[in-house]
Amino acid sequence: MDLFEYRIRTLIKYKSLIWELVRRDLRLKYRRSFFGYAWSILNPLLIMAVLTTVFSLMFKKQIENYPVYLLTGRMLHEFLKNSTTSGMKSIQKNAALLKKVYVPKYIFTLAQITSCMVDFVLSLGALFIVMLVTRAPFPPTMLLMPFVIIQIYIFCCGLGFFLAQLCVFFKDIQYIYQAVMTALFYLTPIVYPITKLKKRPKIVFVITHMNPLYYYVEQFRAIVYRGELPSLYYIVGGCLLAFVMLVIGVYFFQKYKDRFILYI
Amino acid sequence: MKNDVVIEVKDLTIRFNLEKERVDNLKEYAIKFIKKELMFQEFLALKGINFKVRRGEAWGLIGPNGSGKSTLLKAISGILQPYVGSVVVNGRIAPLIELGAGFDKDLTARENIYLNGLVLGYTREFIDENFEDIVDFANIEKFLDSPVKNFSSGMKARLGFAIATITDPDILIVDEVLEVGDLRFRSKCNARMKKMLADGTTLLYVSHNTESVKRMCDHAIWLDHGKIVKVGDANAVCDAYVAKQEEIIMLKQENLRRKRKKKAKKKRYDYLIVGAGLYGAVFARIMRKAGKKCLVIDRRDHIGGNVYTENMDGIQVHRYGAHIFHTSDERVWKFVNRQIPFIPFVNSPVAVYKDEIYNLPFNMNTFSRLWGLTKPEDVKRKIEEQIAQLGITEPANLEEQALSLVGPDVYEKLVKGYTEKQWGRDCKELPPFIIERLPVRLTYDNNYFDDKYQGIPAGGYTALIERLLKNVEVVLNTDYRDYIQEHPDRFERIVYTGMIDEYYDYQFGHLEYRSLRFETERIETENYQGNAVVNYTDREVPYTRIIEHKYFNPARTRNNPLPFTVISREYPEAWKPGMEPYYPVNDEKNNALYEKYRQLAEKEENVIFGGRLGEYKYYDMDKVIAAALDAAEIELARRE
Repeated sequence: MDLFEYRIRTLIKYKSLIWELVRRDLRLKYRRSFFGYAWSILNPLLIMAVLTTVFSLMFKKQIENYPVYLLTGRMLHEFLKNSTTSGMKSIQKNAALLKKVYVPKYIFTLAQITSCMVDFVLSLGALFIVMLVTRAPFPPTMLLMPFVIIQIYIFCCGLGFFLAQLCVFFKDIQYIYQAVMTALFYLTPIVYPITKLKKRPKIVFVITHMNPLYYYVEQFRAIVYRGELPSLYYIVGGCLLAFVMLVIGVYFFQKYKDRFILYI
Repeated sequence: MKNDVVIEVKDLTIRFNLEKERVDNLKEYAIKFIKKELMFQEFLALKGINFKVRRGEAWGLIGPNGSGKSTLLKAISGILQPYVGSVVVNGRIAPLIELGAGFDKDLTARENIYLNGLVLGYTREFIDENFEDIVDFANIEKFLDSPVKNFSSGMKARLGFAIATITDPDILIVDEVLEVGDLRFRSKCNARMKKMLADGTTLLYVSHNTESVKRMCDHAIWLDHGKIVKVGDANAVCDAYVAKQEEIIMLKQENLRRKRKKKAKKKRYDYLIVGAGLYGAVFARIMRKAGKKCLVIDRRDHIGGNVYTENMDGIQVHRYGAHIFHTSDERVWKFVNRQIPFIPFVNSPVAVYKDEIYNLPFNMNTFSRLWGLTKPEDVKRKIEEQIAQLGITEPANLEEQALSLVGPDVYEKLVKGYTEKQWGRDCKELPPFIIERLPVRLTYDNNYFDDKYQGIPAGGYTALIERLLKNVEVVLNTDYRDYIQEHPDRFERIVYTGMIDEYYDYQFGHLEYRSLRFETERIETENYQGNAVVNYTDREVPYTRIIEHKYFNPARTRNNPLPFTVISREYPEAWKPGMEPYYPVNDEKNNALYEKYRQLAEKEENVIFGGRLGEYKYYDMDKVIAAALDAAEIELARRE
């Protein structure tokens, strides 16, 4: 318990540093671009426009309000992909600093994932705009959004820690991970409806039970798109997944962090 | 008083995995894992380090590159974990981060101050409070809002130092960052560090500059290969370190010298060729082609010996007298033509006596001019009559010899004066054998030589010698005596083309030579005498002949006339030891003397004497080449 307390204390001590790092990432992301922070909203809108044009031709009849359906799935996937990828590279990126000053190394990973989370929250504006334009209802269940976001954020932290330590020793993981993320995009019903796979129950099982992202997409769609409470199965599953991932990530990160310096 | 100790390093050992290549991809990992090579190459960057630092002390870390200085600092900062032993630090550490390593190059200075400050563990409020001071000290007000990537290294160092030292940290670590930056900034930094030391900050200072360590620090650690060599008073440690470094440098230089000497000794040549003249060059050429290593030395400042020609504004000047190549030896002609093309040239000299002009050699043109006779039979009769009138049976001197060969008219006008000038003596005092025969041609042919081939190398004789010595090492301005004394063991064999009597220190006396002197002159006229060689047979004219060098290349002179010319007047000179030797005097006395030297030479196992001076023999160029080719051939056969 002492160690835990110590960790919490250092976390509090370095909270301004984390915040400063988050601000750095956000500032630098859109610095010198004309629309600046607006790109956090404009970018998903543009991508949505492209994907909607392409895929609504196929699924328009099965899915009501396709743009909202697409956005609720894609934004979560985008967040998972961006946060874990940048978290993975965070140690390498700050190698120069880590070699010279003692700073807890997880600070950099945490800051990267957090800044992606902030970016994600900003991009929710795109979702609201689309809902307004398509005259979709704003159900009261939407108030549960933070609850889902926290779950996926914790999951991403755990995965990010795990990947960050792995990436120090094997840089190959970066390229493998890109492919894994693309696979995940198609394994999750983001552009297509799950009902489309009714005749393939095995695949449906894999997607709905073995795909961690589905737990969060399903909850998110329930509260935003369908305006109902998510089923207990996915709430418990989502929370459990996030917690287990965090434990795994922290465990490996702590185990190998002292050896990072020899490899960066 | 236990609190007094700020840093306590106990038995510290740091281990690195020293992979030959970093393992950072799966393939390598798998291979190494299978080969069980992982984790087994350990390297101890620090071994059993012990020391204590008290509050307010200033410690210098010195040692060669890779000795573990930076590793020790990293262990103290907590970046590296000890493998064995422990590091206890009481207090806040402020590291001076290497040249903006802590800066994000895209962020502005203002943003970087916050980021860097937070990295160093300051609170945001603290940075707010001290922002002005930092900017002030770093002196970057004007650039606060420009990205750090545009900063100079000095500016980055200033900013880094200002942020790290804005508060008095308990321990300040300075790792050679202050070597950059201008003088004013450095003194500013030194002043601030001094003040911090006075206020109780502990300093750890890494530098290669022992002077600055002595100035800043009271204690020092000298590290080498991860171990403490000496620890204690800064002055004592620094002095010991400097002494050791000097010793190492001395040792290295000594080693280098020894190695060089060894190498020089090893570098052997098959042949040392003394004299870069025609003989030496031909010999070197053949040997080089046979794969032998030759070194050619010459005491003159040019190659080529007496055949040397120098370019004077486009005219090849024969510095040591006219050289016209002629031969009937197919082998020699082929050999020289393989080296360089030859310009066709026919030597047809002219003799001037008083104001009369005669063609040489003595032929129908000469005789018709002399007597007005046009028929060869008449000329033959005339000469026979003249000789018969004299009634010389046993010529006692050169004059009688010449008279009995060509008669008085030719002798008086074309032989007497010239020969007397040449030898510096009256013809009556010269032995008859000097002129064995005086060829008389009863044809209208002015070609001096009877040989099958005649010519001048294109580009002059120097070009020919250069070609022969291509890829052969040549050392000029070097006397054989001095050279062999310095490098007695470098050569298998020696080819000596200098004076043989000089080689034996004139132990039997000096061999004699005839010498020549040339007065070379550039004249601003296109055509001076209209021929390459004009002899002056008149006793009153001091020179024996004048050479107009441009006519050794008649075709070019015709096609590309130059508005000036270069001539050389040739004066015979009595030779004295030390003068330039030209012609050996092969009289009885000198031949006998040479014979004595030759007998000595025969006993030499590793020296070959060759050429005009080495064999004390008048040699035409083709004969010298033939002799050198023969010598080389014998030499190669002998060695097989």
